[in-house]
Amino acid sequence: MTANEILDLLYGTLRTTGIYNFQWNIVIMWGVGCLFIYLAIAKKYEPLLLLPIGFGIFIVNFPLVPLMGYSHGHAQLLQVFYHYGLEWEVIPCIIFLGLGAMTDFGPLIANPKTLLVGAGAQLGVFVTFTGTVLVGFTLKEAASVSIIGGADGPTTIYLTQHLAPQLLGANALAAYSYMAMVPLIQPPIMRMMTNEKERKIRMRQLRPVSRQEKILFPLVTAGIIALLVPSVIPLMGMFMLGNLMKESGVVGRLTDTAQGSLMNIVTIFLGISVGATMHADKFLSWKPLFIFSLGLVDFAVCTIGGIVTVKIMNLFLKEKINPLIGSAGVSAVPMAARVSQMQGLRYDKSNHLLMHAVGPNLAGVIGSAAAAGMFIAMFD
Amino acid sequence: MKNWIFFLALVFFMPVASHGEDFLGAPVIPQGTTIKKTEDRLEMKTQLSHDEVIAFYRKALKDFEDIKFRNWKDATYIEDDGKMPWHSITVSKGGEHGTEIVIVKDNWTWIIGTLILRYIGVFMVLMILLIGMSISGKIISRSVAGMQAKKAGN
Repeated sequence: MTANEILDLLYGTLRTTGIYNFQWNIVIMWGVGCLFIYLAIAKKYEPLLLLPIGFGIFIVNFPLVPLMGYSHGHAQLLQVFYHYGLEWEVIPCIIFLGLGAMTDFGPLIANPKTLLVGAGAQLGVFVTFTGTVLVGFTLKEAASVSIIGGADGPTTIYLTQHLAPQLLGANALAAYSYMAMVPLIQPPIMRMMTNEKERKIRMRQLRPVSRQEKILFPLVTAGIIALLVPSVIPLMGMFMLGNLMKESGVVGRLTDTAQGSLMNIVTIFLGISVGATMHADKFLSWKPLFIFSLGLVDFAVCTIGGIVTVKIMNLFLKEKINPLIGSAGVSAVPMAARVSQMQGLRYDKSNHLLMHAVGPNLAGVIGSAAAAGMFIAMFD
Repeated sequence: MKNWIFFLALVFFMPVASHGEDFLGAPVIPQGTTIKKTEDRLEMKTQLSHDEVIAFYRKALKDFEDIKFRNWKDATYIEDDGKMPWHSITVSKGGEHGTEIVIVKDNWTWIIGTLILRYIGVFMVLMILLIGMSISGKIISRSVAGMQAKKAGN
């Protein structure tokens, strides 16, 4: 064997390694992936999602890794998760099934007025849409970006996959990042939008809700949503099925599976698939950066929308609502409700707003799904 | 027959036609008569049938992204959700004296209008849900109270 042949052999071997195919832009993505892993582990920001997303970003940004492409006509591992989980819009719906099985709609049923707060808090979604179109996004992209303010991860993923799949990674990441930062983003806005007297408003204890009411709620809600916004019934139908399973009390095993093992399994697939969509070639452009900055504005306007809605309602109500629970209308269950509770306690040590804030919080989930349905109907 | 010959000729020369005259980038059907033309709106009339005009636009717009054909009762509405300078092409149905075509410029009035409507729509959905919940809640509360009173009576 001549020296040239040996060199050719070595060269051929080198060509099959990642080192030969190395590009500098992937280093940035390693940094982004590691940042989200750090936030998940050290800061505990939405760790269940940010950790697999961060790892997904990290691992797909190595040259030649057989993860998100096709080999010999067969989809590679993460491509399979992505295709069947996200492209087929299965995972967000299964997550909603689990969320439904975890959720107690009692506070919302006891005080259904708070449903309107969930609608008011969608203000940012529609305002952001305009801003996003102005900077050059298409209408479909604008719709998918603006839903971030609804602070509902599965709805954001569902709508983005439907309208602008190329933005899936950036949108999902922005949604979950800002949801994790609700305790940082909302309090200053809440203080700015309310005065001390309003923050101290005490609300009457919620009435007890019968089991029959709780069983009927998912049926009524699914029926109304199916009639008015049929395009989101895959999400809302699964949400209400999960809740019906829980409230019926007769399918404990199914409820446990939906809110436990099944939810955990799909969360893994969701996180890694979303992260895997963020390859340097697609992600490193002005659009994801813009989505991140606009997402913050979106969140802020949604928070303002919820608080303003409560203030407007108070003009007509005998029993006033504490506007601090308005911010919970952005969904982000249960974090946003906890923020309302913490802010309430700050101004009155014995004013517990948590259960009152759960109502608008759940209304926010329904409201953001309704907004998503409006967008899907607009473009389908 | 004359219409058919014209239509076949139109299809045959389609590639030429689609690169021919346009209004704000939207293809304009050849041999159509302009009724009214402003900066942001073009109204035309043609002797072709509705289906022939739609066939023309389907072919002419096949390479365009984000184009939707909405089949309405009295017209077909071709809408662009992308970045084209035009927003819609409305092709009327069932006209005895030819088919009317209206091309409208992309405009903010439409975007803002539809957003406001949809925001109100979210309120309406939740308002109807609120009414539904209130009614069902009252019915159930009453029946539960009735059943409890019955039990207490026994």
